[in-house]
Amino acid sequence: MSIELSQDVIELLNDRDTIKVLASVDGNGVPHAVFKQSLHLGEDGRIHSLELIESSTTGRNLVGSIWFERKVTILLRGTDKRSVQIKGRVLKYHITGPLYLHHYNAVRERLGDVDLAGVWVIEPEQVIEQSFKDRRATEDAAHPSFIHLDRIAAH
Amino acid sequence: MVALLKPRYREESSFEDTLAAHPDFPRLVALKIDVQRRGVFYTPRAEAAVDPAIHQLRSPYIFGSRDGVIKPLPESLLLRDGSTILVDPTPLEQAPYTVDYRDGRFVLLDEGRELEEVDLWPKPAYYDKQTSTGLPMSHIISARPQRLNVFQSSFCYFWAENEGCRFCDIVTHTKQQRDELGVPNRLRPQDVKETLAEAIKEPGRFTNLCLTAGSVIKGKEIFDLEVDFYIELLQAIGENFTTKKFPSQLIGSAFNERQLRRLYEETGLSSYTSDLEVLNEELFNWICPGKAKHIGYKGWRDRLIGAVDIFGRGNVGTGIVGGVEMAQPLGFKSEKDALESTLSEAEYLAERGVTTVYIAWVPRPGSAFAGQKAPSLDYFIRLARGLQDLRIKYGLSVDFDDYRRCGNHPDTDLARI
Ligand code: SF4
Repeated sequence: MSIELSQDVIELLNDRDTIKVLASVDGNGVPHAVFKQSLHLGEDGRIHSLELIESSTTGRNLVGSIWFERKVTILLRGTDKRSVQIKGRVLKYHITGPLYLHHYNAVRERLGDVDLAGVWVIEPEQVIEQSFKDRRATEDAAHPSFIHLDRIAAH
Repeated sequence: MVALLKPRYREESSFEDTLAAHPDFPRLVALKIDVQRRGVFYTPRAEAAVDPAIHQLRSPYIFGSRDGVIKPLPESLLLRDGSTILVDPTPLEQAPYTVDYRDGRFVLLDEGRELEEVDLWPKPAYYDKQTSTGLPMSHIISARPQRLNVFQSSFCYFWAENEGCRFCDIVTHTKQQRDELGVPNRLRPQDVKETLAEAIKEPGRFTNLCLTAGSVIKGKEIFDLEVDFYIELLQAIGENFTTKKFPSQLIGSAFNERQLRRLYEETGLSSYTSDLEVLNEELFNWICPGKAKHIGYKGWRDRLIGAVDIFGRGNVGTGIVGGVEMAQPLGFKSEKDALESTLSEAEYLAERGVTTVYIAWVPRPGSAFAGQKAPSLDYFIRLARGLQDLRIKYGLSVDFDDYRRCGNHPDTDLARI
């Protein structure tokens, strides 16, 4: 199920100015979405996200995602208004080791006296273009009968 | 190879069948329990892939292992959810899980089937250093992925009186460590202070500190000397921190109110644990004769409850050796009865602010229960769920003893969500 992200999506993901949202769900199906500017492509070709607050709702939900195979969604919106949705599977949580240490040092250098609980690794499984134009073209093709008749009236 | 294995675990329901009966229980936590229960065997290929420069090898530990030998094998494993499996090497004839090295990664296998990728614990930087007295720092404080262990003294006076807990191999193991590795019997506070100072230089590596030792019954009042040792040590440790309190756990004997107040007020200790080991008075009397004789089950329990007034709710715990309530000949005969009895007593404690955590009972070769069989995986799953449900019911947190700050309690892993 895992896919490789295309170069343009990688650029969007790694762009600091992209607005990045991570949506997860808890055990009762309650969704939770947060801005996660730390989302980026890791060297392993997967999406990495830094967890600064261990007991956060997202942190808890992602533990649930690893344990019970609940998917997460990432929404990216670039400065050019291009919008992409990535659905994925939470694969791993680094709480120690070289990758963790690299980010621990980097995040403290950038943000000062903060902690890093861990680094999430998300395996992308699906990329969906979210811009209205793209979405409309896709759905119109799939459901040609979903249309108000006044839009195709002859007069 | 399979044909050579004793059928000991093969008579039980399979892992998958057991888990299927618990759809709300995380597979990774169940796997952790089962690996702890059955142990691991490192294949020669896995052993060859271990790199002592980056992987943590087995360091001195307060209790022994089920292969009964001290060898330079990996300390233990990390699962991909960041949780720790504390598990020791186990001879193949006991049907353990296997750790192999394939395609550049360590993997966990059962009967040749690949189950999970695992990581070995990274070696902390201080493990290569020595104290000013020339002792290897790894012999003074041992590490887990995120915690430091100070085994202040690996001697227990209950053993000296031939009344050690029946599942415990502390003294057998201490002798072995002293003879084979030169690990000191008792730690000097200065060595601990120096080692800790070095350990916490490593960024992002450690989140708490755990002190434990055998019971010391000496003193004007019972355990006074044990408390004195801990206070001296904690004060030396405290010199390394800028804050009065630091994230820490002491697993000690059942101290009285005066002793507990001293510990709380004179040191930076932030939580207190005293292990009842088995939550049943009759079994406690049989399994922990030293504790039973000197303090008694109810006395031990009352002292724990008293500690809540000093350390606060959520900062006092008791450890049990999960499954030892089924040790024979006096233990429960049915898992159902054992579980009901244990959880009802854990509820009594939870209502009064004391949290109960378990480690899976591993009948160790150096203990009086050598050769016995631990309960089923199903039992341990129910026990983990039951203990965590009690914490939820009574609003008890277990931050000081969770997956990161300890890693040895499947029930507290469940507190992550
Ligand atoms: S109190 Fe019991 S478990 Fe603890 S060290 Fe002594 S004999 Fe072992």
